Amino acid sequence: MSRRSKKLIELNFNLFEHELIPKHEILTETEVKGLLERFHIKPYQLPYIKASDPAVKWIGAKPGDILKISRKSLTAGESLIHKYVVEG
Amino acid sequence: MKMMTFGEEIFKSVNCIGFSLLSPAEIRKLSVVEIQTADTYDEDGVPITSGLMDGRLGTLEPRQKCRTCGNTASSCPGHFGLIELAEPVIHVSFVKLVYKLLQNSCRNCGKIMLPQEKIDNFRNSIKENIERLNTVPEDVYKKILKTAKSHECPYCGAKRYPIELAKPTSFYESIESGAIKLTPSSIRERLERIPEEDLELIGMNTSTARPEWMVLQVLPVPPVSVRPSITLESGIRSEDDLTHKLVDIVRINQKLKEAMESGVPINIIQELHDLLQYHVTTYFDNEVSGIPPARHRSGRPLKTICQRLRGKEGRFRGNLSGKRVDFSARTVISPDINLDLNEVGVPIDIASKLTVPERVTKWNIEELKKYIENGPDNYPGALYIVRPDGRRIRLEFVTERKELAESLQFGFIVERHIKKGDTVLFNRQPSLHRMSIMAHVVQVLPYKTFRLNPCVCPPYNADFDGDEMNLHVPQSEEARTEAKLLMQVQDQILSPRYGGPIIGAIRDLLSSAYILTNKSTFLEREQVNRLLVASGYNNAIPEPDIKKPNHLWSGKSIFSLFLPKGMNFTSKSNLCTMYKCKKCLKEKCLYDSYIVIKDGILKQGVIDKNSIGAEKSESLFHRIVKDFGPEDARSFLNSIAKLLDRFITSRGFTYAIDELEVSDKIKEKIKSAMNKTENKVNELINKYKTGSLERLPGQTMDGSLEIYIMNELSKVRDLAGEYAEGYFSSDNNGIIMTRAGARGSMLNIGQMTACLGQQSIRGKRILRGYRDRTMPFFQLGDAGAEARGFVYSSYRSGLNPIEFFFHAMGGREGLVDTAVRTQQSGYMQRRLINALEHLKIEYDGTVRDSSGNIIQFKYGEDGVDAAKSDHGKAVNIERLIESVKLVFPKGSKASKKFIEEEIVKVKANLPNALKNRLRNALLEEDGSRKFVEEVINRVLENYNKSLIEPGEAAGIISAQSIGEPGTQMTLRTFHFAGVREQNVTLGLPRLIEIVDARKMPSTPMMTVRLDKDCRKSKKKAQEIASMITPTSLEDIAMIESVITDMKIYARLDPQAMQKRGVSMGNVETAIEAIRYDVEVNGHDIEVSLKDVEIPKFQKFSQSFKSIIIKGAPDVKRTLVLEEEGEWIIRTEGSGLGYVLNLPGVDPRRTSSNNIHEVASTLGIEAGRNIIIQEAINVLEEQGLDVDVRHVMLVADMMTSSGDVLQVGRHGVSGEKASPLARAAFEIAIPTMVDAAIKGTQDPLKGVAENVIVGREIPMGTGSIEVYMSMRKK
Repeated sequence: MSRRSKKLIELNFNLFEHELIPKHEILTETEVKGLLERFHIKPYQLPYIKASDPAVKWIGAKPGDILKISRKSLTAGESLIHKYVVEG
Repeated sequence: MKMMTFGEEIFKSVNCIGFSLLSPAEIRKLSVVEIQTADTYDEDGVPITSGLMDGRLGTLEPRQKCRTCGNTASSCPGHFGLIELAEPVIHVSFVKLVYKLLQNSCRNCGKIMLPQEKIDNFRNSIKENIERLNTVPEDVYKKILKTAKSHECPYCGAKRYPIELAKPTSFYESIESGAIKLTPSSIRERLERIPEEDLELIGMNTSTARPEWMVLQVLPVPPVSVRPSITLESGIRSEDDLTHKLVDIVRINQKLKEAMESGVPINIIQELHDLLQYHVTTYFDNEVSGIPPARHRSGRPLKTICQRLRGKEGRFRGNLSGKRVDFSARTVISPDINLDLNEVGVPIDIASKLTVPERVTKWNIEELKKYIENGPDNYPGALYIVRPDGRRIRLEFVTERKELAESLQFGFIVERHIKKGDTVLFNRQPSLHRMSIMAHVVQVLPYKTFRLNPCVCPPYNADFDGDEMNLHVPQSEEARTEAKLLMQVQDQILSPRYGGPIIGAIRDLLSSAYILTNKSTFLEREQVNRLLVASGYNNAIPEPDIKKPNHLWSGKSIFSLFLPKGMNFTSKSNLCTMYKCKKCLKEKCLYDSYIVIKDGILKQGVIDKNSIGAEKSESLFHRIVKDFGPEDARSFLNSIAKLLDRFITSRGFTYAIDELEVSDKIKEKIKSAMNKTENKVNELINKYKTGSLERLPGQTMDGSLEIYIMNELSKVRDLAGEYAEGYFSSDNNGIIMTRAGARGSMLNIGQMTACLGQQSIRGKRILRGYRDRTMPFFQLGDAGAEARGFVYSSYRSGLNPIEFFFHAMGGREGLVDTAVRTQQSGYMQRRLINALEHLKIEYDGTVRDSSGNIIQFKYGEDGVDAAKSDHGKAVNIERLIESVKLVFPKGSKASKKFIEEEIVKVKANLPNALKNRLRNALLEEDGSRKFVEEVINRVLENYNKSLIEPGEAAGIISAQSIGEPGTQMTLRTFHFAGVREQNVTLGLPRLIEIVDARKMPSTPMMTVRLDKDCRKSKKKAQEIASMITPTSLEDIAMIESVITDMKIYARLDPQAMQKRGVSMGNVETAIEAIRYDVEVNGHDIEVSLKDVEIPKFQKFSQSFKSIIIKGAPDVKRTLVLEEEGEWIIRTEGSGLGYVLNLPGVDPRRTSSNNIHEVASTLGIEAGRNIIIQEAINVLEEQGLDVDVRHVMLVADMMTSSGDVLQVGRHGVSGEKASPLARAAFEIAIPTMVDAAIKGTQDPLKGVAENVIVGREIPMGTGSIEVYMSMRKK
């Protein structure tokens, strides 16, 4: 890939309308607590998502936040997953 | 090693393994002797005291006692010695770290060259990372080292001088007066000065590793058991490579010591020191670049410590991850249809060598006495008796076996020969999936080969052309139980790869089934009796189908006898695919290829591969396994296999050469078709020569000609095949085989009888050989059919010498291809397994790795186990409704509201997709309320049954499911479906590319969809396509660079600009970025470069030409085409960021096949989706059935860090928590070094680690632990 296209390009459409991008939402504190308790985990045991990820930037999440992602699923129809925002 | 016997307790087990460096103090403490003599044995063969074979280092002779611990060889662990080095020496494996430390610490005070505030910052960031992520990413340490670059020490003010590393082990510091070599002792002093706190900043754990320990003062000498000497038959002793190396070290060390004491000139001392350094370096690693490897007298490079650990045959992979085992056997396999599906025939010679320990009880004592009397040589006998005190009696040496047998007592253990009914594991390499090792029941047979039922060939991928297989005898009750419960053949019928049967009828059984169940097959009473007896049928003979003039039974009704009672089933046979019916007539099928089974009776349809074949999903056999269970399926397959075998044996089946002969008329027809094509080809060549041939888009003239000719030739091959096919009647045995799906295809028959067709290399006609021709006697540039490898002959008629040669060329490519492919797919499989092996299903349904990190919240997003699914679906609703219908006769119809309400009740318990399917199915049926309730309950029940079980090694299963089909993929790149012009990498190379997460795929491609206004018009689509295609300045302007003026002139061509849709504004914005003086005057551009060197000027003038005015820079070509009623653009090369923002483009439905590009422009979730999409595409295109859940798990693993990581050492495997697991995969030594300096502790939670330490792996059965809460006092 050439250097030019490495630079992130501002996209001028709603990212979450793209067929490949599921909806990302930030969890509230109580939701986070419930989630961590439900799975008996620490936040760092969740899958990560980078703070520089376009979808993360779009919703304005910061490192330390936990996201709820509603994927379209080939098997289940829809599926809910969570990711931990990390620096990078 | 002593085998563990019953009752022996384990009182300690490894909990965790820590890594650290040995300090000199510790080496001295461990040591039992200082080695001072560079020699091993004296003339009498007695070890020299304080020599390298000193008796205190342990013992090698079986009866000799160790001089340190007093044990004999079997229980003496060996003891370390040491060599006190005259001068310190750097350890090669740590050179890199030493280099970093020297560069970044002050030469005077030893502190890290960072001001205090920065140190504090980094400390905070380390602390923060530990808090947030529980680890410190490698990047943080790297950043610290990068920042520590000040020229002066912020603490003592000492100047910093650049330090060079001269590979492999010398350091030079360039001070003002020039470069000075740093001696190891001065390096050691510097390292000693580095304070503990500063070492923490670069990730070292000072409690386990001080940097000065990386410069050796004392060298530990491993015990003799590590480097045993061997005595050759001639009586000459031969020493181990390590001993040789140690001899060198001791010798030079002694010399150096003496030299230093006697005040020899410094340069001689220096020379000796360098030599010592060389010997120590090669002692550790004899493959260091930059120095010649130490050699044995014979010239063979020595195998020193690193070489012992590294690579496939090294300690990690060769001895720790995989071991040689006892209680195993290997021999050639052969088929035996009379064996049960889950049996294995073991030759009596093998059965009387393998043993099983059996404890003596009152129920078996008489039998075991008999075995003891028989002894080791008479089958069934026994080899050993183990008494409760652990004493073993070897029956081979006992003469009075009868007396011994009488003295047998309860509680003794007899190691008896294996006998009929024992459970053993049977395996064929390569073990690509779990069905490569299955549990079989022993059947002791005469002769020398292992025998197995041919129906189990597909899972083992075995044939009988000389294949060998292995057999293992489980030795403990636990192992046997587990084998019986989980690994028996019938429990492995359904493959976890696609949720369908992998076991089934093959080859002749299918031909036989096809003939037997043919409409016209009728059997007489005698025949029926024979068949039924052979297949173990012990019920009444059914009523004959024809009673007059004599009793006759149809093949279908005989076959029906073995179908489970109450079975209902409809499907199409393999035959169906041969006829191209426009509309399926279903029950009224003209060819009897619509199968109907009602209440266990085969009403119509021919049974063939599609019904009972292996690797066919949704077949008759699949239904039997799913609906009636594996036991019934096994007995069904057993019976019909025997039935079909007997039938085809009595009928006879052969494919003779005269069955390949076609009539003269057909031959004539084929010949004329060939003549016609030849003329066409010549015509094309003429057109090409005169230049009137139409060029295909994206192709050269030559390329176009090739494509046209190849099309013609492949047409004629097919045509010839068709003519031949039409000639053969359906009782031709070759036709029977292809129709039944037993072997061969219509293409094969065509090649045998009519015309072999084009031979190809790399998907092209044969072009290589001599200059401009393939063979010396062809005209230069002859592009005719014959000259480029078209074979007119058939195998039946024989090939002429030219054809034969071309055929050999094509055949060679096939062989090379297979060899390359097995290697590539094998390595891919190894990487996948290593990356995913530690994933398992937890009790909360999540998929986690061994440190508890969540990879998936629900396995496969719906929690369904592919192996327990019905071809990927949790519940087969259609069939379920059918079967419920039979039980519940129609009542009053349930209302829509009722159905909706009932569905809502179970909503929380079902995945959305399943719920919707259920609702739609119920709404279509007009069942009663009871019916609806029953269906919902059954769906719920079936869904819960299909869920994956906690403890399942989901990662390994997915890795196998993707890796195993790799061997079946092609290596070729393929034409794009529909668009001839576009080549896309597919098959194994593309799959490897995806799994590798390459930065750039070999054929990057975008699919650009357009918005509402543009998608209907070709013109608009073309306009947008031209916007995407990059336009460089060169394309629209005349450019002239004048070197004498140092100026570049460009004159824009308005016509070209208009044609490409470039405005003046585009040009201006594009050239804004130029750093030199630019003058724009109308259509003239002038760039003047002042004070620029000539090469730079030339470089700039080149780059000036290729300035992109407009378009996506990495796109090579665009293609506008119509797909599903709308115009879309396909591009070669991709630039997603640019295209998404173009007006007219629908960004929502536009994407690329470049995983990294998608992940960086649309986010990691989109990246994950692309990985899944691309992988499924490749697999589907190759016709391989792989459940999505496996692909999803790989994609989730690759993206769970937030970046797209490759499956391999730089990605997923490199992130594994356990250093042992990483070392066992690849790059063993740097991994161990890194673990030592960081003082890593391996908690031994994963699979590879536990295999290495020899514990049960924490998966499945092994994941259960017993916890006890102690009462608090």
